[in-house]
Amino acid sequence: MTGPVILEGRKLSVVRGGHTLVRVERFALEQGEVRVLLGPNGAGKTTLMRALNGLEKADGEIVFEGRPVRSGGDRLRLRRRTSAVFQQAYLLATTVRGNVESGLRLRGVRGDELRRRADAALEMLAIQHLAGRRPTGLSGGEAQRVSIARALAVDPAVVFLDEPMASLDPPTRRSLLADLEAIFRRLSTAVLWVTHDTEEALAVADRVTFLAEGKVVQEGATTEVFNNPATQVVADYLGLDVWLEGRVEEAAGGSARFVLDDGASLICAETASGPAVACIHPDDVMLFLTKPDSRGTSLRNVLEATVRDVRAAGRSRLVTLDWQGHRIEALLTRAACEELAVTPAMTVFAAIKATAIQVLPRSGGSNDDA
Amino acid sequence: MHFILQGFYEAMRLLFSGDSATYEIALRSLEVSVAALLVSLVVGVPAGATIALTHFPGRRLLVAVVNTGMGVPPVVVGLIVALFLWRTGPLGSLHLMYTVQAMIIAQVLIALPIVAGLSLAALQQLDQGFRLQIMALGAGRWRTFLLLIREIRVPLMAAVMAAFGGVISEVGAVLMVGGNIVGQTQVLTTGIVTDVSMGLFASAVALAVVLMILSFSTNYAMTIIQQHGSKSRS
Repeated sequence: MTGPVILEGRKLSVVRGGHTLVRVERFALEQGEVRVLLGPNGAGKTTLMRALNGLEKADGEIVFEGRPVRSGGDRLRLRRRTSAVFQQAYLLATTVRGNVESGLRLRGVRGDELRRRADAALEMLAIQHLAGRRPTGLSGGEAQRVSIARALAVDPAVVFLDEPMASLDPPTRRSLLADLEAIFRRLSTAVLWVTHDTEEALAVADRVTFLAEGKVVQEGATTEVFNNPATQVVADYLGLDVWLEGRVEEAAGGSARFVLDDGASLICAETASGPAVACIHPDDVMLFLTKPDSRGTSLRNVLEATVRDVRAAGRSRLVTLDWQGHRIEALLTRAACEELAVTPAMTVFAAIKATAIQVLPRSGGSNDDA
Repeated sequence: MHFILQGFYEAMRLLFSGDSATYEIALRSLEVSVAALLVSLVVGVPAGATIALTHFPGRRLLVAVVNTGMGVPPVVVGLIVALFLWRTGPLGSLHLMYTVQAMIIAQVLIALPIVAGLSLAALQQLDQGFRLQIMALGAGRWRTFLLLIREIRVPLMAAVMAAFGGVISEVGAVLMVGGNIVGQTQVLTTGIVTDVSMGLFASAVALAVVLMILSFSTNYAMTIIQQHGSKSRS
């Protein structure tokens, strides 16, 4: 559940060594929301996060809890109302309890309240049993849990997380991610989570801000960004890396014809006419050994194609198809792949709904940096 | 061989009989070196931290100056201090030449670059993320400095030991600016030099044994503190 804007950056820019690392017109974080800053390496995610929590000087205006953050004192006040977790746990040379208490002590909390709040944070992250241990000998996952407990113990208005899972092995990561998802749903703390991992974003984010080359490229609800990437850069980053170039024609009656540069065409959902690129997510492509009868179904595109390659993609199989010289990919379960006996060079029929074809205006830019 | 054995015998006698002259020299040595060390720590650690944690024009040059300072021969430091404190020198009016204060000043100039240089190196080796994490915890500038110093306490103790070793064993500078005046500015090292020049080997060996005991016991104490610190480090 989200509320009023708690932290806002206006016309923020960070320039270092003559290079503009971040240039953001407006970034607003609402109370209680989990916002993920997503984007490729070097997109400026960490720099923007540091600018927003007063760790990095930036031009522009930052407003926190309705008050502008201008002086060093304002930045200190901002840091004392927020907390941060980094990729490394950066635990101080004291016990786990001492670490969890450290942020509280710096805020002047003492006595019973100090113990009570530290205990609550230790319990929240399920690390009470580590309280007396020193950082030496803690596993990476345990250390990161201590770091997160330390950040949450201060009851922050905003928690900044800078790739907190990046150094963890997959099982530790999954377990911590599940716990954090539950914790953040329960708390009213706003969360700004920096990651380049789309799975992490899907698991925790209420909203996603996609950054590329220091600029906000797209912002919106998580499902909206993942289902409707606004640009080729975003779509490519989210795994939609099959691109067909052409133009939209004959848009009418809720559908349109997407004509590829070589004359082949697909039916897509109605969209503005003009030069465009179409991408098709492998999840949205169904394979048939014989031509399916699409009458009476919502399948608007049935393409005869040749299997080029079959390879493992996690627990699934990614089948690469050649349709009139164009590459299309289909994601199948292993069982389905075995049942169809899909092998290179065989002919199959790929069925795609019109709404599954994502059509974006042709940007003319390259997506190499994504 | 006879005079060597006699020297050890004499050393033991002086130590266990509580010879006031020997203890007076030992205490003066300790007083001068500890005072110089404390001043060097108070000035050198913040100076090293400032150089390590901030960026300003000429920073590299300053680091090079500090590093060079760590290797300047004490006798050169003594000469510079003597030139300043000499009665016709820029600070001659202070009348500090041939005083304990002059010896402390010379030893501060020897120890300061060691403390500043090793603090600087230790802080530079610390992951920069540590500083950001401490700031993000809500620490102001002063608390950030204190917490960072706490994080480097093991290498910092090494700096303290190196600086103490450098000043307690130093002879050239204190001889030049202290004058080795018996009962006033004579310390263990200058006393040994004098005794040897006069052929008083037994007395020289006694002072050397005291110096070694002093040096070992203070370093042993600092090592214990350092190792305790290293156990609690993550």
